[in-house]
Amino acid sequence: MNGSVDETSVVSSEGWTIIHIPEKPPVLPHLQDTVEVLASAIEPKHADTIVRKLNHIAPLEGLRHVKRIRKTCLDGGKSQLFVILCLASGNDGDSNFVPEDVLELANTYQLSTFTTKVCKHAASTKEEWEEQCKLWPTSFHPPTYNIDGITGFSEEDSSAVFNFMKLAVCLAKSGTSVVNAAVIVDPSSRQVVASSCDQVLSCYAPRENTSKGSCSSNQAEGSSEVVKASNEAKQSYKDVCCLHPWGWLEQQSQVGPDSWHPLRHAAIVAIENSAARDRLLFPVSGQSPDFSQEDYKVFSPPHSSLKRQKINTNVKHDERMDHHRNDLLCDSTRPYLCTGYDIYFVWEPCIMCAMAIVHQRIRRVFYTFPNPNDGALGSVHRLQGERSLNHHYAVFRVSLPEEILKSEALATASKID
Amino acid sequence: MDSSVEETVPETESVAFMKLALEQAKLALDSLEVPVGCVIIKGQKVISSGRNRTTETRNATRHAEMEAIDVLLEQWQKDGLTREEVALKFSKCTLYVTCEPCIMCAAALSIIGIKEVYYGCANDKFGGCGSILSLHTNSSRKVTCSGISKRKEFKCTGGIMASEAIALLRSFYEQGNPNAPKPHRTLVPRV
Repeated sequence: MNGSVDETSVVSSEGWTIIHIPEKPPVLPHLQDTVEVLASAIEPKHADTIVRKLNHIAPLEGLRHVKRIRKTCLDGGKSQLFVILCLASGNDGDSNFVPEDVLELANTYQLSTFTTKVCKHAASTKEEWEEQCKLWPTSFHPPTYNIDGITGFSEEDSSAVFNFMKLAVCLAKSGTSVVNAAVIVDPSSRQVVASSCDQVLSCYAPRENTSKGSCSSNQAEGSSEVVKASNEAKQSYKDVCCLHPWGWLEQQSQVGPDSWHPLRHAAIVAIENSAARDRLLFPVSGQSPDFSQEDYKVFSPPHSSLKRQKINTNVKHDERMDHHRNDLLCDSTRPYLCTGYDIYFVWEPCIMCAMAIVHQRIRRVFYTFPNPNDGALGSVHRLQGERSLNHHYAVFRVSLPEEILKSEALATASKID
Repeated sequence: MDSSVEETVPETESVAFMKLALEQAKLALDSLEVPVGCVIIKGQKVISSGRNRTTETRNATRHAEMEAIDVLLEQWQKDGLTREEVALKFSKCTLYVTCEPCIMCAAALSIIGIKEVYYGCANDKFGGCGSILSLHTNSSRKVTCSGISKRKEFKCTGGIMASEAIALLRSFYEQGNPNAPKPHRTLVPRV
């Protein structure tokens, strides 16, 4: 637990790596933000009383990581105590502002004050903390998460991560052009809960003949496009919605733009599918079965992979059986949105999708390719570091061998031949 | 944001449309949903409305704005409009929503290219139009490279009937969020 989180990475023998994307962009330890505080030397015998009074009259709001007292060693083995009285500037930035109570305390103990700097933010790594303490001592709590695996993935866990990412890559390449894909996984059962590709240019009406989403596609009409896509692996991936959220007007549809929706990015549709599954597995008591069935039809994924549907059907079947056996299932085991679930993206999600998965309470996010245009998990924004949000997920980049995209496509193509 | 503004300045039009958005929010409250509602206006006419449906759908992305946008996309496609025509229509639309669009909705509104947004109360936890992020402006974001469609800005004005919007949210959180994970936290008005 002592290691810094941004060093957390797991490398597999095949060249796959899991890298944690921390909540703050890495800063050089000596370039941390500081604030000025008013401090004074104090007599050790008064230390307890003064600190108690100061905590009452001038609590260090927003600087809880900063220690109130600093002890420095003087020549001859003696030590000297210093205390932080208050911030050097008041709330209004008025540099002469010192609370009256603090002035009174300073007079009582005949303190001679001076201004010094402390670090503004709590250290997120041991290196940052060591640097902070050179200015003024702070406390350091290595980041803790109620998330298994944040400080290292077991071999079993990481191989599951790699496999789910492979599934996402496979989905992303399974249509007529390379798009983004999102796979929502329940890591406790290692089962796919829902998945989808981008559907900005193909939604609503299921079109069986496009075979988008099928990993083992044998649809001849799509094959030439898949090969083409793999040959142009370095292209700008113009159909990847999160890379080009504003490009929905220009994106070329292979199947004719008879149905389209600028907001149906992979994550949005995957969330919709998982919500539909939730409503089907855990119908609200008193709700007519017709309603939930019909509901599911409307929301059922039009381009779902055959493989995935099989998994889902099994889950549905088992859990529905359980449901019939035990009517209490609804309340006791019904998940709250996607609490505890992971999501896999091929491309780092855009800000819309990144916020959507905050709302849906996703636990961990894995993506492979950074998104320099609108990436919200480290590239342009860093949503996992927005403390005001009511939910936070951990973010990991799964770096995979460069040739994976290409080889997966060729594998698909060779099957077709 | 001075809540007294709406009483002193006769912003009749924006107040009238915001009242319609508040009606949508009340519908949400009646259905035990977080009470946020909106209307979309084009040429002085209400062409769409929406309210939160996150509890009913168990899909936490079904915010009022997303509902209202979907109504239009479905209608316009049924009418056989092309993507270009739809984009042109959105660029003439104004949204009135009772609470500042969240980060997701602000991004969505930019993607569809809405012209203008008026909101009631600010959203200091998830607001995407100034509170947490400012997705309605280009200033804080990277300039796009050539050849890629540019991100779109929209004009955004807050504080229209904010106290009414807050009152609705407060009554919701006082009655308790039935959709919250168990065990419930003690619910306190947070706005």
